[in-house]
Amino acid sequence: MAAKNSKKGDKGLRNTVIGTVLFVVLALGFFAAYSSNSSKNAPLPSAISKDDGYGIVFNAAAKPQIDIWEDFQCPICRNFEGINNSYINEISAKGKAKVVFHPMSFIGAESQIAANAAACSSDEGKFLDFHKALYQDQSTTENSGKWNSATLISLAKSVGIDSKSFTECVNNSKYSGWVKKIEDSAASKNVNATPTVFVNGKELDRNTQYMDAAKFKEALAAAGLK
Amino acid sequence: MKIVQPWITLLARLILGGTLFAAGWIKLFNSYEAKASVRAYELLPVGLANILGSILPPLEIGFALFLILGIWSRKMALAATVLMAIFVFAIAQAWTRGLPINCGCFGNGGVTADGKVHHWTYFSEILRDIGLILCGIYIYRNPIGKFALDR
Repeated sequence: MAAKNSKKGDKGLRNTVIGTVLFVVLALGFFAAYSSNSSKNAPLPSAISKDDGYGIVFNAAAKPQIDIWEDFQCPICRNFEGINNSYINEISAKGKAKVVFHPMSFIGAESQIAANAAACSSDEGKFLDFHKALYQDQSTTENSGKWNSATLISLAKSVGIDSKSFTECVNNSKYSGWVKKIEDSAASKNVNATPTVFVNGKELDRNTQYMDAAKFKEALAAAGLK
Repeated sequence: MKIVQPWITLLARLILGGTLFAAGWIKLFNSYEAKASVRAYELLPVGLANILGSILPPLEIGFALFLILGIWSRKMALAATVLMAIFVFAIAQAWTRGLPINCGCFGNGGVTADGKVHHWTYFSEILRDIGLILCGIYIYRNPIGKFALDR
């Protein structure tokens, strides 16, 4: 009799554990889905274009169009930046092409806050300067703790951003919803790597055209850049 | 053998379950990366790959918890073995096609940092997954193990 009872007790325990495990797994699944779900009413930086995957746009009317998908924590992006940055900044500043920046954040938390801060700098009209400063300040290890609100605000000061609106924008992660929208559009456009560069919608050849300034220029010239 | 076997089953459950748990847990909190990992295999249409990328982590955690606790050991071992076999297929086809990607099994997926194919990494990933498949097969054939909630 006692043995029978204990067997019944085991079964009850087993069912409870099964139920708990299923509940926990479902809850985790929902949590993951929810945390990566961008809100519909998220504030957006003023320079973005919804039709260009929410990227930050320079020279909306110009041609050709260059789309740059990058992550401020990605070392290869920093190399790419070192090789092509001055040319890209020149094109952007002089209006020679439509340049769309898509700051991604799949390396993690510090990419997210950096992307948010970059969007804040765009509102201040200092995106290109801050963009460059971020790569120069990149940590040698990912998510090292080097970037937080305070360090990013002081980094921004070094490129002349010193406004209350910027400080609040960084401290409140104003554009965290937008950061997720960029990731969502990367997911729908099948961007699986950073950097990824499209010229007029066509991806450059990763093996030859990314890390060679002359070939990069050639590719843009071939697409009609004067 | 009768004395040793339940302990081996326990060990197999812990190795297979522990690995699955770690893989699922790491990816769970970076679902964008997990989705990019699946997309990078270029096996599924983008939309489906994204869905799979968000389902896989909680699924792996679920299989892992049942295996570690020893609930439905046989069914879970079978399910985990099938999952691993699918992973081996996905990795092998990516290797064969020369896709320069990371496994992404424990996060950090997508195109490799240097854009090159890492043959040794591909090889060791397949070897690891075959080891896990052997754990799964052992549990399936000897489902009764130590410290299991199965009776």
